[in-house]
Amino acid sequence: MAEIGFPSALITALRLLLGVLFIISGGEKLLDLKFFGLVIAEYQILPSLLIPAVALLVSFCELLCGAMLLLDLFSRISASMMLCMMVIFIVAMTNNLIRGLEHDCGCFEFFAQWYGLKEEIGIGPIVRDILFFILLLPVALLGSNKIPWKKHKG
Amino acid sequence: MSKKSLQRKLVISFLLLSSVSPAASQLHAAAPVAIAKEEASEVNLSTAKALFDGRSACFVDARSEYAFYTSHIKGACSLSDSRFDDQFPDFRQKIAMETLLVVYCVGPDCPKAQHVAKKLKKNGYRNVKVFPGGLVEWSHAGFPMEG
Repeated sequence: MAEIGFPSALITALRLLLGVLFIISGGEKLLDLKFFGLVIAEYQILPSLLIPAVALLVSFCELLCGAMLLLDLFSRISASMMLCMMVIFIVAMTNNLIRGLEHDCGCFEFFAQWYGLKEEIGIGPIVRDILFFILLLPVALLGSNKIPWKKHKG
Repeated sequence: MSKKSLQRKLVISFLLLSSVSPAASQLHAAAPVAIAKEEASEVNLSTAKALFDGRSACFVDARSEYAFYTSHIKGACSLSDSRFDDQFPDFRQKIAMETLLVVYCVGPDCPKAQHVAKKLKKNGYRNVKVFPGGLVEWSHAGFPMEG
């Protein structure tokens, strides 16, 4: 890791920060899946029949990947999964912006409810997701896939 | 045929034509006004509340479904501008064509209520009114909400 100038402390910090954020994001979605499903419906990309399953899948993936990043369990796989999700979010929001649709982005409703920061799709959430993508990259490329409590040979 | 009689005939035929022509008739002249009035059919807060109390109207929320899910006028139905085509079949089954509908959005700056009202009229609902004050005015007045 030192060879390419990425201290492991930085990877750990990124892993912990992103882990906490994804746990909050996934957890709040799981707590109110109906609301999240209605926001997904507003994107007008998926057929109505698939929306509840996708809402559950996205929320669960965020929560699981967040927890795994926090615990350093298969961090590279978790970060790679979140990278794919970020790409999907960015494409979905950009697509709706181009179509001129205005609606809630369904990103961090926790902050919306507690601090009144209602977030609609727009440049702000897209830039934030690009930032998350950039922050996830070092973890996906250089993070650990080891299980911490398992003893490794050599 | 003399020039004078030809002129007279032309004037009479023009008058006759104009009396039967839809473009010149009074009925036709009144029609756009009637349509314009119908499009601008709005109710204020006190009328909306009277309709609500008398249970004589169905309130229709034109905002997105997730916004409706969070809060709405008590007893209102969701029929969002963005997903009108998806929601309308269910709405049509539940609400009779002759029902008085009061469509609302967030407030006066939100065009969704007018859009939904127009779509409802297009789909056969004749008794459609818009409450431009919307949810902001309703909630500020402390009137019943749910969600």
